[in-house]
Amino acid sequence: MFGRTSFLLLVVALWIQGAERTARAQCSSNASSCLGCHEVQRQRPVLELGAPWHRDHGFGDLCASCHGGVSDDTTLAGAHVGLRAPLAAPASTCGSCHQQDFDTRVAAYRGWTPPAPSVPVVPVEPSATPAASETRTVDLALALLSLVLAATIAIVVRRRRREAPGKRLTAWLRTALWSPYAAGAGLGIVVAISELVCGRPIAVSGAFDKLAAYPGRALFPDSQYYTHVISPGITWQVWLVVGLLAGSFLASRLAREARWRWLPDSQWVPRFGPSRARRLLLAFIGAGIAGGCTSGLAISGGAVLAPAAFLFMAGMFAGGIPTARLWYLGRRD
Amino acid sequence: MGDTLQALVLGLAFGWFLNKAGLTHYARIVNVYRFRDWTVMRFMLVALLVAGVLIQAGIDLGLSDPLPIPATFVVANLVGGIVFGVGMATAGYCPGTIVAEAGEGRLDAWVAGLFGLVFGAIVFGLMQPVIMPLLRQVGALGRITFAELAGASPWLVLLVFAQLVVLVLLLLARRGTADRGHEAGEPTRTAQ
Repeated sequence: MFGRTSFLLLVVALWIQGAERTARAQCSSNASSCLGCHEVQRQRPVLELGAPWHRDHGFGDLCASCHGGVSDDTTLAGAHVGLRAPLAAPASTCGSCHQQDFDTRVAAYRGWTPPAPSVPVVPVEPSATPAASETRTVDLALALLSLVLAATIAIVVRRRRREAPGKRLTAWLRTALWSPYAAGAGLGIVVAISELVCGRPIAVSGAFDKLAAYPGRALFPDSQYYTHVISPGITWQVWLVVGLLAGSFLASRLAREARWRWLPDSQWVPRFGPSRARRLLLAFIGAGIAGGCTSGLAISGGAVLAPAAFLFMAGMFAGGIPTARLWYLGRRD
Repeated sequence: MGDTLQALVLGLAFGWFLNKAGLTHYARIVNVYRFRDWTVMRFMLVALLVAGVLIQAGIDLGLSDPLPIPATFVVANLVGGIVFGVGMATAGYCPGTIVAEAGEGRLDAWVAGLFGLVFGAIVFGLMQPVIMPLLRQVGALGRITFAELAGASPWLVLLVFAQLVVLVLLLLARRGTADRGHEAGEPTRTAQ
């Protein structure tokens, strides 16, 4: 029980530490303070408005290159010192990157007028939420749906009447496998702490993006991505991955399942044979393709109920089901 | 320093739960797409539910203002998911479980998995300036949640989502977990 108690204490301590933190922007971040306020906190966001210059330059954290300002100051006044109108003197703004042809590029931007916004931008202020009547209709529909679902759940539960055998908690930490529900709840708590305390998603692939930037920048010094978008660094996310490695080691070690081995479990060998090279090749290709983010987008985004997460999950199944079917074509097992 | 410690502790817990849920197995991941193993679905849905409720409660308590909400680009999110699914069904990995498998001592994850991730990240990085502007042209909704999109109360959206999750989990509960996750000849211990 000591393990459980100390874990809970740690959780509480982390939580308190986070609650005391006044300026959340202090979480060491790679992003400029421009992005932090304008996009993340959505105080006058620009990227979703569709202006061609923002669309064209939205691949990177480039605000200050055109607009000036102090991109690492986190105060409203301080960050806006030295702001300039980007198109007023394009030789010094646009021309700093596009030396050769900034005139033609600027001409194209000058002719652009903003269309009526197709998607209402939802500001943080409650004063600007949609009209009360509209909200009530949606809420009413959701409330009705909720009632229907509650009734369905009640019916299903009644039919089941499962008598769950209570598991003794003595060997809890050493058990190799927990109920996926318990482990999932644990992960949920981890995600919530991460988002609330540090305002970050639990994301793994971002760390590899940062690590890949070391060889990436060395091998491709002219790449737009590695010069403007991603810089190498040992970031918060990288430490998260280090912790993840240690956590999995600890869990499997306590369960006496940690040991060196080359091939996956019983399903791999019957299908693909005992060849190590084949495993490494397919694992390498698969991992290279799968550099997305289940944890960062699907779980952390899903927890805040963002459409992005659910679109991603739909895509996962749309890609995964036919692929798995192909690999196991004509096999029963 | 404090930040690093937080990241390490959160990562430790993350790895612990991934391991305890048994997601460090090729078969567990691949069989998601063969409808033979519902462990990952159970694990993920419960995680979403618990995190969703806690985060919403945290927002109401004023614990968090700048929540990291991922940007919705309909086409980019879908295409990314499809590509990801192909890789996941081929290798039996997702990025998090590669690291968790490495922690368990799986050498294929150390050698092919970690290098594959870095290699894939570089290839993506070189293609990103070309493909991302294309993918982002359609369906850019910005950093938005369902509640904001529909103009509904976030708690109600969460309630409906929670009930959907519970219903799915209840319906899946009868489906057995084809427990091929462990090494051949090893007893399977499932705490259910």
